Amino acid sequence: MGMRTILPILLLVGLLIGAVILDRPQPPADLTFINRGEVHSLDPQRMSWLQDFRIADALYEGLVNYDNDTFEIVPGVAETWSVSPDGLTYTFHLRENAKWSNGDTVTAQDFAYSWRRALFPDTVAGYADLFFKIKGGRAFFDWRAKQLQEFAVQAAGMDETARLRLAQQMLDEAQQRYEETVGVDPVDPRTLVVTLEVPTPYMLDLLAFGPFKPVHRPTVEPYLHLDAASGAFRQHYGWTKPPLLISNGPYVLTVWRYMRDLRMERNPYYWNSAAVKSDSVLCIAVEDANTAVLAYETGTIDWLSDVGVDYRADMLAQKQKYMDRNAVRYQELRDQGKSYNEAMEILARESPPQAGERNDIHAFAAYGTYFYNFNCQQTLNGGEFNPFKDARVRRAFARAVDKQAIVDRVTRMRQPVANVLIPPGSIAGFEGAKGIGYDPAKGRAELAEAGWEDRNGDGYIEDASGKPFPTVEILFPSVAEHKSIAQAIANMWERNLGVTCRLREEETKVQAAHLQEHDFMVSRGNWYGDYGDPTTFLDLDRTGNSNNDRNYSNPVFDELMDRADKELDPEKRMRILEEADAMMVNEEVPILPLYHQVTLYMYDPAKLRNVSTHPRLTQFLWEMEVVK
Amino acid sequence: MTAMLIRRLLQVPLILLVIYTVTFTLAWLLPGNPLEREGRRPDPAVQDAMKAQYNLDKPVTFYVSYLDQASGLAWLRGDSDKVFNLGPCLQYQDWSTNELIGGALPVSIVLGMVALVFALAIGLASGIVGAVRPGSWMDVATLLVALLGISLPSFVIGTALLIVFAVWLDFVHVAHWGSPRDLLLPALTLSLPFAAYIARLTRLGMLDVLQSDFIRTARAKGVSETRIVLRHALKVAFLPVLSYLGPAAAYVMTGSFVVEKVFNVPGLGQHFVNSVLNKDLFVIMGIVLTYSTMLVLFNLAVDVMYSWVDPRIELA
Repeated sequence: MGMRTILPILLLVGLLIGAVILDRPQPPADLTFINRGEVHSLDPQRMSWLQDFRIADALYEGLVNYDNDTFEIVPGVAETWSVSPDGLTYTFHLRENAKWSNGDTVTAQDFAYSWRRALFPDTVAGYADLFFKIKGGRAFFDWRAKQLQEFAVQAAGMDETARLRLAQQMLDEAQQRYEETVGVDPVDPRTLVVTLEVPTPYMLDLLAFGPFKPVHRPTVEPYLHLDAASGAFRQHYGWTKPPLLISNGPYVLTVWRYMRDLRMERNPYYWNSAAVKSDSVLCIAVEDANTAVLAYETGTIDWLSDVGVDYRADMLAQKQKYMDRNAVRYQELRDQGKSYNEAMEILARESPPQAGERNDIHAFAAYGTYFYNFNCQQTLNGGEFNPFKDARVRRAFARAVDKQAIVDRVTRMRQPVANVLIPPGSIAGFEGAKGIGYDPAKGRAELAEAGWEDRNGDGYIEDASGKPFPTVEILFPSVAEHKSIAQAIANMWERNLGVTCRLREEETKVQAAHLQEHDFMVSRGNWYGDYGDPTTFLDLDRTGNSNNDRNYSNPVFDELMDRADKELDPEKRMRILEEADAMMVNEEVPILPLYHQVTLYMYDPAKLRNVSTHPRLTQFLWEMEVVK
Repeated sequence: MTAMLIRRLLQVPLILLVIYTVTFTLAWLLPGNPLEREGRRPDPAVQDAMKAQYNLDKPVTFYVSYLDQASGLAWLRGDSDKVFNLGPCLQYQDWSTNELIGGALPVSIVLGMVALVFALAIGLASGIVGAVRPGSWMDVATLLVALLGISLPSFVIGTALLIVFAVWLDFVHVAHWGSPRDLLLPALTLSLPFAAYIARLTRLGMLDVLQSDFIRTARAKGVSETRIVLRHALKVAFLPVLSYLGPAAAYVMTGSFVVEKVFNVPGLGQHFVNSVLNKDLFVIMGIVLTYSTMLVLFNLAVDVMYSWVDPRIELA
């Protein structure tokens, strides 16, 4: 063999050895899990995905926190706080021993700085509108946006140095304006006074939410620069990576590799470190639903936080078999006051699953609803006649959907059927309306009242002039599950109401864009609540809301919502919101709810402890514990 | 030879520019808004700010500035601290396209090389066996394996291998990456279609060569059959395989979406498919540019090797 053969082989072997040495696997962690998907951002002000918030809850701590079993507010960085009688001013007293993971003290200025970031349009914070509750927040955000437009005009023809000088000038001006007009005042390092635009009874709940968590200013600041083209400050993405990221919560970030893994270790400076159950948490990224289940089955992970495989309904049936066999004992344990998890743990010991049974898949109600949108505009986008502008037609179509059949036979997941948007029992003190159920006869009657009847006996409905009901076009994203549901609904409407339907399947992103443009007749929709107040759902129907895909607009409803915003008495406010809710789900029905979302977890009840089952379904990684 | 090499290398930027322009046009025309996300939609003012930040409202500005950053021109002028700046990631905003490719490409290359070695070993061996004893049961057997390798989709092979080796035999871990053992199953899955193709190429080439005059001469001189097959015939029969190796190498080393998904390999293939689904312009373009650079260079390398292996071939 000559050099010709040996050289490439040597090269190959060398490369392989090099790659393997460089690419060491992670050591095992106390808790290993698969998140709902890859984390998009670890910058609390810019995150908007559930999986991001799950990690944020482990890395950062806000002024207050919620107990994820009861959803009551408990102290976080703030030890105590007080609210003024008019509900507009909150004074927070920060604890002395709240520390960043580098030992710095967490101060009121840290919060003021982080929230200011969110209210600068430059940061493009996805949840900036939550900060509009703060006095002057909205006005400032709009003012700065306008100032940046002004920059484009003024800076035209300037060279780069002059542009940067102008941008800096404007930024200084904006910062000064912010200090003067926005109601966030760090009185001293341990006192923060927050003034609100309107009394917001759920403000503390918001403050426990991801976007209100603080960032470490000295870490973030070096990554900002002024952009000569737009005059805005821009942020470079580097600071959220280990070991740079400084956090103030239970954990510090030690590894984060895109689409591979994310590892956190106990933050020694965290004031409440005694409450942190696991020393290390490893989150591995697994894209494929099958592989994720195999990873659980072979013991690679302790918790799978979303089961997406096609055979999940069969797995649920195996669980049901196990529960049926142990029904009496399970009820006995629950009657003794044991929680679901405690009961399952005892059952796992007393009666392990037999062949064809399983006890490690768990279906929990989530804080969300799967629904259909009716376009509520006067005409469709192309100027065509829109039958769904009429509430009677919307109600009729709602009555013609057999939701129980959908969850039993289409999704086969037995989700709780939804006649309302807000999952019942998820918000303390709120008693939602009943909504509209399955009643095709009444549906047909309402259609007739709206002028749609089968006048010529062909089985299809027409208006008084004999024109048939327009073909109902159903828009949905190109995903098998959504398609099956759309087919089932189209079939029910055709059969129960005498209309024709057409399916319009589109790639997910394309479909989302069409929703935003209100370019549809009927479409599939979905919503998860962000905070513990009915407005997180009801706001969807407000005129001009950025998530009002239906383009629904009703001055009476808007007025009710405005009234609720101004109402000081929390009891009275809830009554107003209940009225608004009833109007939407009993009368107006711009949204046709199908079922409340269920999230499927996989974990061994004898091994993983402290999984929350509250309908808000938030898991704190630092509370979870694997029993070895 | 050197002049040819220089000429070919000079063509590379031109080819890439064409690819970039076509990709940019297609990616820009893709329906859907890259900043649109499933679930909650930010306030319109926030959405406008997002668009403006990335020039998503100005195609020409986007085209020119991306080309400037990605080609290294900005770096040459001293306007960028990175030689090739492939831009931010729109969907996963804490990452840049450079970081993303930098993390995933080495994984795909290692996996691809192992797969290529497997493909060559399996393909050459079964091709030779088939050619030496055409029509024998061994020939039929290798033909069958090749047929399966070509026709079975890799998610079927991959899942089957996972169930046997990970679930039943507990030989490898599921969704685990980093140790040499983790390479075996995905590399094998990835190699099978290529192995099948190489086997057929080798068998045909061999059958042809074994009939030729110089082989008969060698046989007449009493050279051993093994030596004839491995030294004389294979050298000629390998040429079509070699020309196939160029694109094949580029293909296996830039990652396979399916294999990466099934075995949870953190390679480039997944990122590419996801970026298209997310309409993540910067990532789409960054990966296409990386991929095409590799493809062009591999083809060049194969041409060079060709003239090295077979001096009869004069490169033009």
